[in-house]
Amino acid sequence: MTKLNIHHIARIEGHGNVAIDVKDNEVKDIFMEIIEPTRVFEAMMRGRRFDEVSHISSRICGICSPNHFVTNLIAVEDALGIKVSERTKKLRQLLVHGSYLQNHASALYIFAAPDFVGLPSFVPLAESAPEIVRRALRLKKLGNDLCTLIGGRPVHPITPTVGGFTDDVSAEALRHLSEQLFEAVADAAATVELFGEIVPQHFDTQGELVALHEIDLYATVSGQITALDAGWSKPVSEYPNIIKEKVVEHSNSKHSFIDGKTFMTGPLARVNVSWDQLLPSARVVASKIGLRPVNRNIFSAHACRAIELVDAAERCATLADELSLESGSVAPKPFKVKAGTGYGASEAPRGTLYHSVTIDSDGMVTAADVVTPTAQNLANLALDLQRFSPTVVEKGEDEFKKSVEMLVRCYDPCMSCAVH
Amino acid sequence: MRPTAVILSLASDYGCQVQISNFPEILEMLSTFDLGYWQFVSSGDMPDAYEVALIEGAVTTDEHVELLEKVRATASCVIALGACAATGGIPGLAIAGPVRGQLKEVYGSGEKKVGAGARKPAPISDYITVDFTIPGCPIDPAELSRVLQRAIRALVDTPQRQSMCGECKIAENMCFWLAGTPCLGMIARSGCNATCVSRGRPCTACRGIAQDANIESAYAFAAQNKCDADQFESLIKIYNAANEQATQKAVTSKKTAQEVVS
Repeated sequence: MTKLNIHHIARIEGHGNVAIDVKDNEVKDIFMEIIEPTRVFEAMMRGRRFDEVSHISSRICGICSPNHFVTNLIAVEDALGIKVSERTKKLRQLLVHGSYLQNHASALYIFAAPDFVGLPSFVPLAESAPEIVRRALRLKKLGNDLCTLIGGRPVHPITPTVGGFTDDVSAEALRHLSEQLFEAVADAAATVELFGEIVPQHFDTQGELVALHEIDLYATVSGQITALDAGWSKPVSEYPNIIKEKVVEHSNSKHSFIDGKTFMTGPLARVNVSWDQLLPSARVVASKIGLRPVNRNIFSAHACRAIELVDAAERCATLADELSLESGSVAPKPFKVKAGTGYGASEAPRGTLYHSVTIDSDGMVTAADVVTPTAQNLANLALDLQRFSPTVVEKGEDEFKKSVEMLVRCYDPCMSCAVH
Repeated sequence: MRPTAVILSLASDYGCQVQISNFPEILEMLSTFDLGYWQFVSSGDMPDAYEVALIEGAVTTDEHVELLEKVRATASCVIALGACAATGGIPGLAIAGPVRGQLKEVYGSGEKKVGAGARKPAPISDYITVDFTIPGCPIDPAELSRVLQRAIRALVDTPQRQSMCGECKIAENMCFWLAGTPCLGMIARSGCNATCVSRGRPCTACRGIAQDANIESAYAFAAQNKCDADQFESLIKIYNAANEQATQKAVTSKKTAQEVVS
């Protein structure tokens, strides 16, 4: 028996190993170890005040902090029965959807791209493919600029607060942002072409595809939990009854199941579930690379990320333009603190993110729950690894390991989110 | 020959590494070094020898302590990157509860396996000597750049001693206390140019407690402004619960404040 362990998979967010036992060119056992240390966020949030927990939960993840912040705020507001203004809703949508630019550009260009050209990292690409690197940095920068404009900085936004924002954005700044976002659609479309060309393999994942869904909008901060194959849609408050978490061996992150089966959330699931809600321009670039639903090829996940970049850039451009023309307030209106439990969900770049909080009559949080995209995906990833690894085991150790890592990166896993 | 640098993480959210990757000018500054290991963006193993180690995250396991000791024995310069490494940060909040109990709350009966080697969260300076500290949640990239320039010239750290309030005045912000909202600017370590207050959020002292801060007086001021000692201490703990010096000071100053009020 040979042990082919991949220690600390690089170019993912956080610490994870893959342990593989191979005998006579046959995979006997393969599993993912999530060694990221737990920070017990749910326990830390308990005992804090209702207006502190969103700021704290933002620190679950440095890469999708706006998502955690906003999702937790939605849960707190749900618990307290607070209704926010239309402008607040739109500005939050812009902040969350705009975060796709930074996240997807990083996942595609910095984490995944080196695999396709046989390089250890993104850095040497600056010499061999400078135009690609410039495009990647432009997209990342625009995502960061968007987050800085609305939230105050690229990581861990300052301005979102219970009931609204602590600070609004000027019409002029929003117009300028809108122009930049419209210009970025070309970079996003070029990204689709690039990642459409380099779908390296075909491997269908078997799990159910799950995402938030709305009839008239590509759902990001609203919608119902929707399963593509089973065909059901349920309200967000049902999530604790739908998604069952289980503590497993080898992992500091729990695994998640729906009806006892693994499932997948994230760009591949979203593009399938909300295909009809993608902007026409995004569907056009998708059809150019031959991608249409139902597509279960896990290696198409990168192309789906790129398609979402096109949709996000154009949609956010329109949204920013609308916001620049509209008046309205984002200042929180007075509210009464009361006891209750609230639920929030959003589509984070890596998939559906759920938060729930229970608040007592003094405004103190007595229970908190966070179910992250990666925590939901890990069981499905483990199953994919078991089914996929035998198909590449004969490639020799190096290529085999590389293929396994490439599959893992299709999920764009975030271990600090998964464990939290 | 360029000095070799490594970037490591303990218990953190990687936000500070994301900050580094977000700013091209920082990446350029980092190219002064041979980046021997940066798991976040590159494949490959840790080199055996390196001069500079940037460490993000709080210490929460035995494994972290082993790693820190190895790093300290190898690197001539250790830089604590961000609030988690500098003060224990948000992971430090867990210090308030029993480690086992909290793990049980989150993992149920699976607590035993996850909890193997778990420790109370702590800043890295509790275990090894740190040459430079870049506080804040997340770090200010310009500050990282300044520190790297000092590190490469073998200069010493010159931490800001003053509290954040001064910078806030320069930024011409309205004081939160005037509206009855507690803010930690008067005891927080300066250097952020009042970023949060300038966008409407009170300071939570993510950069740690300033050396020059008069904590006793701050407690008294808070109490006079309808923020009792428990509430003020609770605020301090968000980022500084693992900072023993600050919490001990908090305990004594709480007493003093209560005396002042009574």
